[in-house]
Amino acid sequence: MRILLAEDDELLGSGIKAGLTQQGFHVDWVRDGVAAERELLAGDHQAVVLDLGLPRQDGMDSLRAARARRIATPVLVLTARDAVAARIEGLDAGADDYLIKPVDLHELAARLRALVRRAHGQTQTRLEAGPVTLDPAAHQVWLDGATVELSGREYDLLQVFMLNAGRVLSREQIEQHLYKWGTEVASNTVEVHIYNLRRKLRGELIETVRGVGYVLRRDAGPAA
Amino acid sequence: MSPSGAALPRSTLSLQARLLATVLGLVGLVWLSVVVATWYDTGHELDELLDAHLAQAASLLVMQRLDELEGDNFPPPPTLHKYQTRVAIQVWHEGRLVVRSTNAPEAPLGFGEAPGLRTSVIDGEAWRVLTTPGREPDVLIHVGELESARHDILLASLRSIAWPMLLALPLLALGIWWAVRGAMRPLRQLGQAVALRRPQALQPLSAHAVPPEVAPLVRALNGLFERMADLLESERRFTADAAHELRTPIAAIRMQAQVAQGATREPERTQALAATLLGCDRAARLIEQLLQLARLEGEVARGGGAVDPAGTVSADLTATALGLMADLELKAQVRGQSLALLAPGPVHVPMPGALLQVLLRNLTDNALRYSPDGARVQLSMEGPAPGQVAALVVEDGGPGLPPEAVARLGERFFRVLGTGQTGSGLGWSIVQRVARLYGLSVSADRSPALRGLRVTVIWIDTPRADIDVGQSAGLH
Repeated sequence: MRILLAEDDELLGSGIKAGLTQQGFHVDWVRDGVAAERELLAGDHQAVVLDLGLPRQDGMDSLRAARARRIATPVLVLTARDAVAARIEGLDAGADDYLIKPVDLHELAARLRALVRRAHGQTQTRLEAGPVTLDPAAHQVWLDGATVELSGREYDLLQVFMLNAGRVLSREQIEQHLYKWGTEVASNTVEVHIYNLRRKLRGELIETVRGVGYVLRRDAGPAA
Repeated sequence: MSPSGAALPRSTLSLQARLLATVLGLVGLVWLSVVVATWYDTGHELDELLDAHLAQAASLLVMQRLDELEGDNFPPPPTLHKYQTRVAIQVWHEGRLVVRSTNAPEAPLGFGEAPGLRTSVIDGEAWRVLTTPGREPDVLIHVGELESARHDILLASLRSIAWPMLLALPLLALGIWWAVRGAMRPLRQLGQAVALRRPQALQPLSAHAVPPEVAPLVRALNGLFERMADLLESERRFTADAAHELRTPIAAIRMQAQVAQGATREPERTQALAATLLGCDRAARLIEQLLQLARLEGEVARGGGAVDPAGTVSADLTATALGLMADLELKAQVRGQSLALLAPGPVHVPMPGALLQVLLRNLTDNALRYSPDGARVQLSMEGPAPGQVAALVVEDGGPGLPPEAVARLGERFFRVLGTGQTGSGLGWSIVQRVARLYGLSVSADRSPALRGLRVTVIWIDTPRADIDVGQSAGLH
């Protein structure tokens, strides 16, 4: 999952980035409010961790600007402002969650997973599509109840498909979801990962929509 | 002291009770003097009037011949008035009582034969007696009246004044009580309005419809509320800012520690642990600065007491700076920075060494922190000159500050953004606080030599810091 982190404190920012990376997220880090707004508007991320006291522009203003432009990306505000009034203001400005520093790494990761899940209309913690089950918290995948070993990229790709089950995704969209900035993506990388997924799971699970992209059917065939 | 006398000290009596007692006491006193004056005045007038009546009665007797009075020729005088019975008549002839009214005593009403008015006591009763010779020279006439009768008339005439007065007194008390109560209502309402307030409610009281006597109190209260609101607001902001500033390094420490915990590769773990330590140092410095600031504020709250007139407190600027530089040299070397000291020799300033060190450390630390790698930081000091005891200049080769940022320096937790440094902005607050305590002049501008920030601190030469230190310590 690609996460945008907006935090101006070098030490805390590098800590959150390293910690969330350990937890299986891909983190892009910006250090000021203007950059945060720009990235929010670009909409390349599944969730945002937003500090409020940012240079150049307050995080709250970045959030408001994004919501005014109908950007629905889930935003978790992570701040030292603990006053109830500040929390209310943050939530009313469009934040989906509000955490006070200091925060536990595992809690932050769990809340981000929950935000992404809810943003995709999922109420179950485990994602299911036909015979396939994916547990974001445990980072595990099952096919007909049997554990499937996936590489990190394959897992990320499957999660993107399952979160967007029934929706056709272009190769560019998939790349945006998967890769951090500055990552060189070979032209056929996504195809290779999809090939591997089909091989490890089931061939008909991910369909190719010619000329458009790929889609994972919500009811991806009966269990064989 | 009697128990009743020790009841209440004067000041604890309610205004209402005090006013009531004073007014009633005064009215009572006035009435009493009116009654006394009337008593004497009326008594005197009455005496004259009744004496004249005695004289009239006597003159009628004087006109009679003795034989007309004597024996059966003189019937008992008819009673024509209720007070008349108290008027007694005696006619003496050659020492013998020849005529007497029924109410007259046997004993002579008057002593001797001297004519005139006098008071005599017969059988324990006081009489007012007019003595006059009769028509014949050997006849003596006494016309007397009981003093008690006159007393009764006087009392009766006074009663008509006293009754309304006595009746009016409670009515007056009631009226005063009611009027005072009404007059006190604005005060009572004010008291209630203040009593019902929550401690945080510091909006001003309404000064409308308040009597002019109460208006100063309302204004004073509003002034107090305003100052308290300011104080609360600055405390609230400080707490919020301090919380913010403390939370961020602690959040960083926690996050980095968890990263180290979950690291699978050795370099990652090492890096996270180093970052954790860095966070600890930052938090420690922040806490140290907060403590310094709190101590300084405590100092201010105790009334400063900083400038001691005897001049016994003194520290050497040069020596303190040398000690500090030994401390900071290592830190400067890490970033390739150099520290220089220009001093003419010992420079003594009238403040405790510990506080001087706080001042110097914060200024030098800021200069090093906001200067680029390899920059030069220079401390120069001067001894006494006209108008100054000593002066200290700290210059750096950093980017300097735009004028609007200079104006905001010293706001707690204000820090110039985009410096890539992790200061809290507390250093300047501390410098300013020390400056205010000791009446120092602190100013900041661009250094002509090093092109960075130049901070000038001057220990002003005044006999006593009665100057407005808030002004002189302000940055311009």
